Amino acid sequence: MNRPSAVIEQSAVSAAPAGPFVAAPDAADRKHVLAERVELLYRQSALGIIATILVATVATAELWYDQYKQLVIFWWITALLIGAARFAVEVAYRRRKDDDPEKWLRWFAIGALAAGVNWGFAGSVFFPSRSDEQQVFVAFLLAGMASGGIPLLSSAWWIYALYAGGILIPFAYVLGTYGARLFTELAILVPVLYAANVAIAFRLDRVFASGLRLRHAYGRLAQDHEALNHQLEGQINELMDAHREVAASGRKLALFAERAPIAVLEMDANATILDVNPAAETLFGYASTELIGRSVLHMLFSRDKHGTIDEAWWGRFAAAAQPASAFQVPCIRRDGLELVCEFSFTPLVNDESKLLSVIAQGRDVTQQLEAERIKREFTSTLSHELRTPLTSIIGSLQLLQSGVFGDMDKDVVELITVAERNGERLLDLINDLLDIEKIESGKFTLVPEALSLDDLVRESLVLNQAFAERFGVKLDVPAELPRVQVYADRKRLLQVLTNLLSNAAKFSPRGLSVEVGLAVQGDTVRVDVQDRGPGIPEEFRGRIFSRFAQADSTVTRQKGGTGLGLAICKRLIELMDGKIGFADRAGGGTRFFFELPVHREAA
Amino acid sequence: MPARPLSRICYVEDDEDIQRIVRMSLERLGKMTVELVGDPFAAIDAILAFKPDLVMLDWMMPGMDGPTLFKKLREHPQIKDIPVVFITAKASSAEMDQLRALGAAGAISKPFSPKDLPEQLRAIWGALP
Repeated sequence: MNRPSAVIEQSAVSAAPAGPFVAAPDAADRKHVLAERVELLYRQSALGIIATILVATVATAELWYDQYKQLVIFWWITALLIGAARFAVEVAYRRRKDDDPEKWLRWFAIGALAAGVNWGFAGSVFFPSRSDEQQVFVAFLLAGMASGGIPLLSSAWWIYALYAGGILIPFAYVLGTYGARLFTELAILVPVLYAANVAIAFRLDRVFASGLRLRHAYGRLAQDHEALNHQLEGQINELMDAHREVAASGRKLALFAERAPIAVLEMDANATILDVNPAAETLFGYASTELIGRSVLHMLFSRDKHGTIDEAWWGRFAAAAQPASAFQVPCIRRDGLELVCEFSFTPLVNDESKLLSVIAQGRDVTQQLEAERIKREFTSTLSHELRTPLTSIIGSLQLLQSGVFGDMDKDVVELITVAERNGERLLDLINDLLDIEKIESGKFTLVPEALSLDDLVRESLVLNQAFAERFGVKLDVPAELPRVQVYADRKRLLQVLTNLLSNAAKFSPRGLSVEVGLAVQGDTVRVDVQDRGPGIPEEFRGRIFSRFAQADSTVTRQKGGTGLGLAICKRLIELMDGKIGFADRAGGGTRFFFELPVHREAA
Repeated sequence: MPARPLSRICYVEDDEDIQRIVRMSLERLGKMTVELVGDPFAAIDAILAFKPDLVMLDWMMPGMDGPTLFKKLREHPQIKDIPVVFITAKASSAEMDQLRALGAAGAISKPFSPKDLPEQLRAIWGALP
């Protein structure tokens, strides 16, 4: 049941911006672009090296024949070494393990500068010493080398500036100091050429840079796109899982409804039946096709019975959209038989609190209600039918005893007393049985009132004095009792006191006293009834407050009593929010007590 | 408290044994005059003829129960002021309260003590306005 909510949480998390969507910082961006520039430089580096060596070799052949042979050889070897060194750097770059494009750029710049300076050396050494044709050749060579570097090096314009500077600055110096007017003019034009080339290189550099940046941005876009796709795929999978789970729980619910012994009906807001389960079909005797589309109020609920659910009720319920349970609704079965069904109505609302449908669950309580009615009637009848003959029996005996018919034989009086006493015992038993039945079926109602417990205790002593005297026992209470009020049912509390007092009197040895006390402790008041009887046998203590509990069945014959008294006392005191108990009394005997909350009237 | 002492009682009760006990109790011990009615449907005529100080009604009777008869008595112009006491085997305090709410002068629960019955009735009589 927790899974669907977990799925929702997951999708909530993955919908939040994750790594690929966070804009990369500019620094990282620049580094990426720089690495691409370096890569571009090194990729064209081999072409540059080979071209340089080829051109240098051709130049060596052209300048070979005169007195500068050693110098030409030296220059050519230097060009080869520089080429080899640059090639070695390229190999090292290809095998690099670090991620430091700036370092590799520096190494490349050193190589390019060295190559440029080597050509500058050629210009400044070989140009002055040559014939006119060869001077043109050298000048052309240098201009070509300087210009040829543009496409190879301009992805870092300043490297090109170093390279071309290495070639042209010494050459311009040689031209300027040569002495010929034409060469002086050319010496002025060479820096212009240099500046123009560097400017072109700079422009190209910018173009490269923006191209690289664009390419990089595009790469990132593609990467993001892929991540997004991946994420979408994940969410779709989650949704599919959730869908499968919902479908599974839907099937489970459908199965519950189908197999449930309780009638389940689904209605719309207008009480039109949308769906019913097999138990509902069985209960009402209709097929689902006969019910679906019809109003539950007209089809199933009895129209003219008290307590029925009508349009007005349904309208109020649909408007409130609050669950309603334990409604006993008179219903009519297809065959016309009247039923009483207990219904619970559960409204299903969407997020906007709009009522979508109402689920009603009902069961037939007709028989249960009938059984309860019969039981009530039986109890009432039992009460009446048993009391009526007892009224006659006890009444007749009392009239005989009253002496209105003159003196009677002592034995006759004794027999009449026995008969009357046993009649009253029977009456007590009936009363006790009715009490316990009412208490246990929850039908017992107390009539509580604020009353003085000390007065009630004194009253109970007066009422039970005569009974105690039959056992030769005195009932004692201190002259001064604390004034205390309780909120309790007067008649029932008197019944409890009478029960405890008569028990104590029955079990006290002749000639001794039963002592009654009253004590207030905080919010509780306690009444004690103490006797000097034989005490409660160990094996009986656990069930003393149970029904028909008496320590010994012979006691009933000796002392009377129904065995229900203490069970009733316990339930009555508990109904009045109190508690009842007993303890051994120091010096022998038993102390029964009950406690009730003190009632303080609001000022 | 009414000026004259309680002396004429009409008792509507279907159980003959209880009738006998009540008659003995009230006549012998209470020194009152008792008219017994076994059929609740004959009660109004009997009351009109006997003119009792007080009417005692049983609660459960065949044909018509005590409360129904009580209502009929309340509606009768010549009877409506005669105080009515119920004698009932229904003993719960709620039911007793219900009886008093109907306007009954009192209620005596069954089984009653015939020794005390005259005094109980005189106490109710004495408490009347």
